[in-house]
Amino acid sequence: MPAGLDIERLYDEHAQPLYAFLLNFIRDEADTRDLLQEMFVKLARDPKLLAGVREERAFLIRLAHNAAIDLIRQRGARDRTRANFAAEMISPFAPASDPDEKYFRDELAGALGALPEEQRAVVHLKLWEELTFEEIAAALDISPNTAASRYRYGLDKLRARLRPLHEEIKQETT
Amino acid sequence: MDMENFEQRLRRQPLRQIPGDWRREILASAERAPRPGPRASFLSTFNAQISAILWPHPKAWAGLAAVWILIFAVDFSMRDTTPVMTEKTAPPSPEIIVELKQQQRLLAELIGADQARDAEPPGFLPLPRSERVEILMT
Repeated sequence: MPAGLDIERLYDEHAQPLYAFLLNFIRDEADTRDLLQEMFVKLARDPKLLAGVREERAFLIRLAHNAAIDLIRQRGARDRTRANFAAEMISPFAPASDPDEKYFRDELAGALGALPEEQRAVVHLKLWEELTFEEIAAALDISPNTAASRYRYGLDKLRARLRPLHEEIKQETT
Repeated sequence: MDMENFEQRLRRQPLRQIPGDWRREILASAERAPRPGPRASFLSTFNAQISAILWPHPKAWAGLAAVWILIFAVDFSMRDTTPVMTEKTAPPSPEIIVELKQQQRLLAELIGADQARDAEPPGFLPLPRSERVEILMT
């Protein structure tokens, strides 16, 4: 199969989830674009990277995660403080027309942004990629137990922060 | 709050869609990326590795190479003088040869005398242990 066609297939199958993962992880659209482009250029330059890979998605998420970690380290002190990070971040969620849903998504984006990166990555992969803890562990190079505990801690923090809002919306809808 | 219900609610939140124009731009960048060529030969690999090593400070490496070349040149020039020196040495005259032969003869005689002296029986020869015991008994 020609390399160009293979890259197109890879893009069509995996670019959207990789975009969502990276955007949730680094919260900057320009950086997300740069990382995605670097990834696909890297894959085009060295197609052997995918040779023998059984789970393309997990492999690509791992590549994306490593690239995002490197980027966060390179950013330096500017974005390390959570306050600055939360203030400047872009929401990883689609815009909502309903005001309540919009408010909930904004709050959820803020709560996710306040999580440590490692918890945010696990929560994203579990909730929106619907990966198992074993798959998450393989993608992030951690143990399944670590993945499970990070998910539990992350979800507890989200629930604590969003509880009033969630209850309020639930009551309104019932 | 029901945990499962909360998780389901979070799952239902739609994620932002990747901008459509990125596809063309990213794939164009990927197309422009240099593809791996045929398997590199040993020489080209060696050349690439040497280049990678020398690249940071090429002038410093060139200077070091020049110093080594100078050292080798001086070393070879010193070696070249040795046969010239031997060639320039004049052959010994017949008188010197006769004198040398006489000295050799004298030396041989002296050595022969020493050998004769050495051939004399020694003053003390170790006896076998049994004989030593007999001497003590008597």
